[in-house]
This record gives sequence, C-alpha cells and structure tokens, in this order.
Amino acid sequence: MNYDCLIIGGGLAALTCGIKCAGSGLRTGIISGGMSALHFSSGSIDLYGYEDDRTIVYQPFEKIEKIISQNPLHPYARCGMAIIQEAMRFFKNEASCGGLELYHNEESNHFHVSTLGTIKPTYFSQRSVFNEDIKEAFRQRPKIALLSFAGFRDFFPKLAAANLQKSSLFRHLEIITGEVILPMYSKTARNPHEFRSIDIARIFDSERYITNIAEQIKKASQGAVFAGMPAFIGITNYNKIYRRLRELTGIFVYEIPTLPPSILGMRIDDALKRRFAELGGEFIAGDRIVGGEIIDGSLDHVHTENHGTTRLRARSYVLATGSFFSGGLTSGFNILRESVFNLKLFCQQERNTWYSPRFLSTGGHPFLAFGVETDDNLHPFTQDGKTVENLFCAGAVLGHYRPIVEGCGGGVAVSTGYAAAKKIIDACRTSSQ
Amino acid sequence: MIKLENISFDYCIKCTVCTIYCPVARATHLFPGPKQSGPDTERLRIKNPELVDESLKYCSNCKRCEIACPSNVKIADLIQDAKWRYLKKKFRFRDYFMSHTDLVGSIATKVSALINFFMSLSIVRFFMEMFLRIPMRRVFPKYNSRTFQSWFRGIKKSQSSFSKKAVYFHGCYVNYNNSSLGKDMVRVLNAMGIGIEVPDEKCCGVPLIANGYLKKARKNAAFNISSLQTILSDDTTIISTSSSCSFALKYEYAHLLGMDNTKIFNRVEYITKYLYNRFQEGMAPKMKPVNLRAAYHAPCHLERMGGVIYTIDLLKKIPGLDLVILHSECCGIAGTYGFKKEYYDISQKIGQELFRSIERAEAEIVITDCETCKMQIEMNTPYEVIHPVSLLAKALDQ
Repeated sequence: MNYDCLIIGGGLAALTCGIKCAGSGLRTGIISGGMSALHFSSGSIDLYGYEDDRTIVYQPFEKIEKIISQNPLHPYARCGMAIIQEAMRFFKNEASCGGLELYHNEESNHFHVSTLGTIKPTYFSQRSVFNEDIKEAFRQRPKIALLSFAGFRDFFPKLAAANLQKSSLFRHLEIITGEVILPMYSKTARNPHEFRSIDIARIFDSERYITNIAEQIKKASQGAVFAGMPAFIGITNYNKIYRRLRELTGIFVYEIPTLPPSILGMRIDDALKRRFAELGGEFIAGDRIVGGEIIDGSLDHVHTENHGTTRLRARSYVLATGSFFSGGLTSGFNILRESVFNLKLFCQQERNTWYSPRFLSTGGHPFLAFGVETDDNLHPFTQDGKTVENLFCAGAVLGHYRPIVEGCGGGVAVSTGYAAAKKIIDACRTSSQ
Repeated sequence: MIKLENISFDYCIKCTVCTIYCPVARATHLFPGPKQSGPDTERLRIKNPELVDESLKYCSNCKRCEIACPSNVKIADLIQDAKWRYLKKKFRFRDYFMSHTDLVGSIATKVSALINFFMSLSIVRFFMEMFLRIPMRRVFPKYNSRTFQSWFRGIKKSQSSFSKKAVYFHGCYVNYNNSSLGKDMVRVLNAMGIGIEVPDEKCCGVPLIANGYLKKARKNAAFNISSLQTILSDDTTIISTSSSCSFALKYEYAHLLGMDNTKIFNRVEYITKYLYNRFQEGMAPKMKPVNLRAAYHAPCHLERMGGVIYTIDLLKKIPGLDLVILHSECCGIAGTYGFKKEYYDISQKIGQELFRSIERAEAEIVITDCETCKMQIEMNTPYEVIHPVSLLAKALDQ
C-alpha cells in the first residue's frame, strides 16, 4: 500500500495531522492500535495552564511566547507562535466541520470543573462546559446544583461540592446537591458495577427519555441556574439533545468529565474521525506497526501485525504513538525505549531518577518529560544520531515538555500534529514539482 | 493451578473502551460487555470454574472489542474459549445441524430443489421455530444443485495451461450455496493469467467454534493445515473469498484452537489482498466501466484482520464504480448467531444503524466480503449484495 503520508497512532496529534494532510489532497492513512487516549481525556483542550509554582496561567499565548524564548527544546518552540495560533484556528474549524463546536474565552483561559470538584484552566471546551452565555450567567453569582444519577458510582456531588467551595471562584456561591433517577434504571440495575457514563450517554443519543429527565433536573436543581452533572448528553446527537435540555429546563446543564470512558473525550474522537473520513482519509483500526526499515536516513517502509510481510510505504511518516500510557514509550527495569523504531530518547536511564518520591509532587515526575528527541523540523534521530528525514514526531511521544505540570498536553498534540502536516505538505509539493 | 501461558487478560487496565464499541452490549442489557465477560471474570474462572456467568453466551464473536482495545488484549478469544471451557454444554440438534456445514451441505445439494422448496414453506418454518428455535423470519440461503467442487472437477484440465498458480480454499458457502462466486473468482484469476488449484478441504471451523464443537473444529483444522501444506509448492498463495474463513485459517487456528499453522500462515491471504499485490505487479485484467453506484460494508472479521484497505483499494480500481464507504458498523448476524431464536432480536437490533446508513447511501447495490453479512443485509434492505470479486468479474472486458 502506498501513501503520501502514513500516520502511526490515532489520537489527537495523529487526527489533527491526518485531517490537515487529507484536506490538502494527500493520500493519508492512519494506523491505530486500539482506541486513543482521547477516551481518557477531559474533552477540553489545554494550551498552557500552570506556572512552575502551580499558580494559574490566565493568558496562555503570552506564557507560550515566554516558553519559546526560554526553552528552545520545548515542542511549542519547535512549532513557533504563528503555527500554534494557526493550529488552534484550524482545529476549532475542523472539529466544527465534524459536528462539534468548541468555545474559547478569546485569548484567555477559562476553567472547567473536574469530577472531584477541582477547577482546571483550559483553552477549548465544548458547549456544555463553556460559552459566552455560561460566562455571562456565572458573573451573576448564580446558585449551582450538582446532580448525579441514582446508582452511578463515578461522580459524588457532595464531594465535588465540598471541593468546589474551597475555590475562591465558588466560595460565596450557594451549591446544593441532588439525584436524578433514570426512567429505565431498573433494567440496568442487574449490573450496577458496569453502570458507566457510556451507559447513560447511550440512552441520551435518542430523545426518548429527555422530557422525563428534564423535569427531574428542574426539580432537583431547586431554582439553580447551573446543574453540574456527570457528562451524559450522548455522542452522536449531542448538539440537539443539549439544545432540547436547555429549552425544557431553562437551566445550564453543565457537563463534568467522569472516569474513563470519557464522553466528552469521545465526542472529540468521533468528530475528528468523521472529518478525517469525510476528507478521504483511510483509518486502519486495530493494527499495530511492528517495525520498519530505515535506509540512509529515510524510513523506507513499515510492516504491521495484521499485514505480515506486506510492506506499507509512504513518502512521509508521522510517529504519533503517545507516551507511556498509549505505548509509544516503554520501560523495562533499567531501560526506556521508543516502541516502534527505537529512536533516540531524551531521558535518564537510571530507574531511581525517573520519578519524584511523592506521587502528587508539585514538580511532577521527571519521566513525564521524557520522549523522543527531535531537530527543529520534528525529525527524530536513530540511536547512532542520524536524523530520519521523512519521519516526523508529534504529540505525547515527544520529549522536553511536562503535559501535566504545565497543563499543555492537548495544545502540544494539536500544534505539533499541525506543524508536522504543514512540513509534509511542503515536502510533497516540492518533490512533485 | 493458574495456567501461565494464558494471562493476556492481565494487560487489561479496565478502561471499558471495549464495552463502548461492543454492538451486543449496545443492543441488550443481557450482555454485560466484553470487559466483564472477558478479562474481568477470567481471573475468577481460572480459580474456580464454578464462577462462570451464563451471560457470556451472548457474545457474537464479532471481535470489535479487540479492534478497540488500547492494551492489545485478545478479549473475544478469551470469551469464546471460556464459553466452551466452562459453560455446561447442552446438545441441541439445531446447533449440530447449523455448524456441521459439510455434512448438511453435501446432503442438501443432492436434493437442493426439494430442500429449497421446503424451506420456503411457512409451515415448515413454523415447525422449525417451534422445535428447533430457528426464527421464522430469518431468510435461509438457498442450496446449489451442484457443488462448486464438482463443477471445478469439470474444468480442472483447463487450469493446467497456466504457469502461475493459486490455491483456492473455497469454503462451504461457495461450495454448497453460492458457487457462482467461486466461478467468478476462477474467471477473474484466469483473466489475469493465474490458474486455480482446489485442495481437499473441510469446513474451516468457524461455525463449529461458534457452536461449541471444538474437537471437531480441531480435527477439521488439522485436516486443512495438512492438506494446504502439501498442495503445490511453498510459495503458492492460498486464497479465500470468505473473510471469516481466512480469519480462521490465519488466526483462530493458532489463537483459539491452539493449532500450529505456521507453515501456512504467510501463505493464506484473503482474496482482495492477493489481488492488490498482483495489480501492483501489473497483472490487473482489462476492465470495462460497470457504471454502478455501490455502498461498501466492511465485515467485522475483515476489519479485525486489517483487510479492509485492500478491498477498498481494489474497488477504487474498478472503472465506473461510484463508491460510498459506509461507516463501520456490525450487521448483527455474526454467522449462526442471528439464526438462533434467542439471539434473533438482538441481531436485528444491532443491524439497524447499518441498514439506515445503507438507505441513506442511495446506492443501487451493496458490496461486502462476508457471506453472512450478505444474508443479513439482503433480508433487511431491498438491495442485492455482491462480493467484490463478483463485481470485478462483471467488469472483466471479455
């Protein structure tokens, strides 16, 4: 099989890159081994959230500007400010074409609420988490209700409320808690331990129970302006259901991301995959690259678990396999490696230097900054230090940034995915001229 | 004692992604989903087989969980294995008759006119539903009056003139129900200058595995492996026009039945991948425009094998074909699953999304690689469903 661009990995960076490439008329394939980390994400895209001392960054672009000048190895510095801004506009637009509207607070960050009731700075959110109306309503110091579904074990309104009230934004607001009973709950009660957000979300992909639930929400909220609930408003029919709920209740139903599988994250996954397919991209699911051959500083072909000896070839390749969690990086007892091509890593090899003694250390863990070392064009190096000219790296597989401490995982994925795509498109244009 | 060779479920991180993409769990609450039926309860079952839960029988073995799993756990294999290792087996005539396709097929083709007539009578179907629990509404495939093998014996001589050869594992469906697909396949390869050899073969074992006849499945597998191993030279490809047969020969023999198929593993290829490679070598036959708008449905097992890209690539090479690629959904029939009364409604419910998307595609015809997907789609939509190879045969410029 011959592609212009073959992307290894199927998450946020890969899909952003794939959409850009396919949209520019390149024959683009994405090979994804299992569903991506978007299924475990908050569904908001963080650009830059925290200073090193954990104070909140309100102006992410200003902060990124500083990072670019201070740390030239940071993936943001490899992209450059203009590309990052372009990538954000592109991403918002493409998600919208895939059926998912994203909202941002102009150039500033806004906050979203986590399952435990902590607040997190972020850049893009979905309609049920942030938009101009929500911003305006929140200014009026509204009453807030936190509601859960009876029998749902992944969200505890009282715990979330107690935590919310610790934050200065919510300290003086009235927060009440309550419960909503699903009309068909008795049917699912057989497997309460399997009662996940997805089971609820599926119910709300249709409009069947919506009036009943709307009434219950209204009643349980006792006059509150916001009803914070575990994300449940379906996946494929989200926009319509959200609008209907708003009409029926008059309340802002605010979605809180829950434990995996995350409905909000899956919506992004769904919208991007839809868009990628629409642009003619080929998504190869459930397969894994087992190796490839690098000849004279250029990746010649790759082969996969399913295709055996058949070689997949492309003019350019993108490695977007993610970090340790997604399997892009693996660790042994005293060894760290990049899983597919054994590329050169930025890391420390001695095990006792990988982590901080405290699990929730403010400085984070050193291993989270480990990843593939690249040049300014996102090209990686082989173990003997040679660059691989037609291979680009994007997303969490990259080193030199700390996604959790800095609150920038999503932004780096989108920016580097987009930056890689731009370089590939340029390379294809010059080579075909 | 815990068997250390079978602990792939230990890689499960309990993320529940498989359950999201399980078509059965979406259709019914009776199935707790692949995570619970597979890796979760496997750790209980290996300690105490009494802890097996009956609900795992609802798994249709479509393998979508394995495609979705981020941790590479062979979930569907775990469930299939547990189904027959731990659940009490009850003899059911229906299951015997539906899974022993060779036995039933060889008799049915001899009296095909009679069988096809009887199966079209509502009264017969009424009794079949009553006594055999085979739902009346399910449309059965017709039987041929002559098997593919017997047809092939008649033309066998003509194949010796080709210097390049391929071995064709035709499977039961082509042999007993749809020999025209086999004939199309011979026509296409002959037009490309490739001769066909048909080995002695038995049912690949897919329906046997699905109905708990593992011993018989192993026997068939051993027969097929040795027969395919000895026919022609080592570098001749063994092709199959059934996505599920090729999946069994390549993967289920080793993973589920524990057979050693290494000698044939690299030789077995699903037909579209084989054609793709020959087309790459410049062996594409001359084609004329088909002038058709068609919707393509990718069968679950082909998707699991990663074969969909080859079929799509092949279809794109057929001139005059306006192709709509349907969003990947399970059709619900899952082999013999949808033929059973207890699963019939689930099977129909699973397919609804696909049937709707076929309607929306506004195509004249539906293309799919799998024989049972074809049965399910033809029964539930007004469209004719054909195999990519049959479409290619139509396009041949002869």
